[in-house]
Amino acid sequence: MRRVLHRETHSSRAAAAGIAAVLVVLVSLYALLESAVRAIGQPPWLIDPQSAAERIVALPSGVPPLLLGVTGAVVTAAGLFFFLSAILPGRRARHLLEEPRVAVVVDDEVIASALARRARLAANVTPEQVMVVVSQRQAVVNVRPTSGVPVSENAVREAVEDELRAMAPIPLPAVRVNLAESGVIGA
Amino acid sequence: MNSTPRLLNRILIGILGLKLLAVGILLMLLATVPAVGSWWQSWSAGVRDGANRLFDGTTFPGRQESWLWIVLSLVLVLVIGLVVAWVAQQGKGRSGLLLAAEDPGGVPGDVRIGSGVAEQSLKNALAERPDLASATVSTYEVRGQPALKIRLHPRSGVAPHLLAEDASALVAALDEVVGQKTPVLVHIAAGARTRFSRAERVR
Repeated sequence: MRRVLHRETHSSRAAAAGIAAVLVVLVSLYALLESAVRAIGQPPWLIDPQSAAERIVALPSGVPPLLLGVTGAVVTAAGLFFFLSAILPGRRARHLLEEPRVAVVVDDEVIASALARRARLAANVTPEQVMVVVSQRQAVVNVRPTSGVPVSENAVREAVEDELRAMAPIPLPAVRVNLAESGVIGA
Repeated sequence: MNSTPRLLNRILIGILGLKLLAVGILLMLLATVPAVGSWWQSWSAGVRDGANRLFDGTTFPGRQESWLWIVLSLVLVLVIGLVVAWVAQQGKGRSGLLLAAEDPGGVPGDVRIGSGVAEQSLKNALAERPDLASATVSTYEVRGQPALKIRLHPRSGVAPHLLAEDASALVAALDEVVGQKTPVLVHIAAGARTRFSRAERVR
């Protein structure tokens, strides 16, 4: 189950794998077409392999340098995307919950909306005035108080921390409360 | 939970990324640095001449074309087949059986319980809840053993630990019925359906 939990909290890179596979298949299909056409001695479809090789050998000449540079930049960016998604840990925005019988993973967004509800009740404001962002080690609670109605930062912090303690996500995020300077009128 | 080949994904994506990086950097250098251009022309001309000699040496007797083209086509077909097989491995691992055991009683034969039993009963038990936008249950095979995955989409503001407790109680009831402890993963997920659904006001 520990392995399953690791797999659930890390990306499988299935999407990147799909894109990579489509790219490789398209390039291979085109190369297959041209080499098959060449093998049976028919005229080429777009460019025959020999003259393609000539063009590549002569490279800096024959193509505008700007076009060449931009193509290179695009290819580099694509390469960087694949390479980074391969080597980075790929942690997903999820936390674990302790439960004796079942293994539980929770999306950070769900934790955030639960915390936002508690913060909203503690601050006595509407849902639009509270925004909570939960990351691996931090929960940031942003509250915009109603104009003229004071909001106690401590009360909000205590409510959110109480909710977090009851929830006990692993790892436990630290709470930070930001009260906006300006209030909302007529909320 | 599924049996996506993650290490293979990382290796293959990494190789493709490195190759694209090398090609892209080479193209950018060719466009900007003249010295790289002259080096490239002399180096790649040597490679091309070698390839040309190879192709000229492998022609069919009495014909002009090289049989290397046919070999190349076959290799490409093989590459495409392998890539398709790789993609087909993504997200596999669903199982149709919840339990398969030999019956210890006097009657010959064994017992099999389809995964539909657990999926339908858990889904029905969760369907009535007002704090859930939807719930799906699926069975996967993890290391040869069936395991259940319960995915819950709560409405906004629902406390996840209370949901997990309730799911745990349901699973315990299922254990009683089936007579076997199946490993269970509960995934409390956010999605478009939970984001735009109305907030739960009762709890």
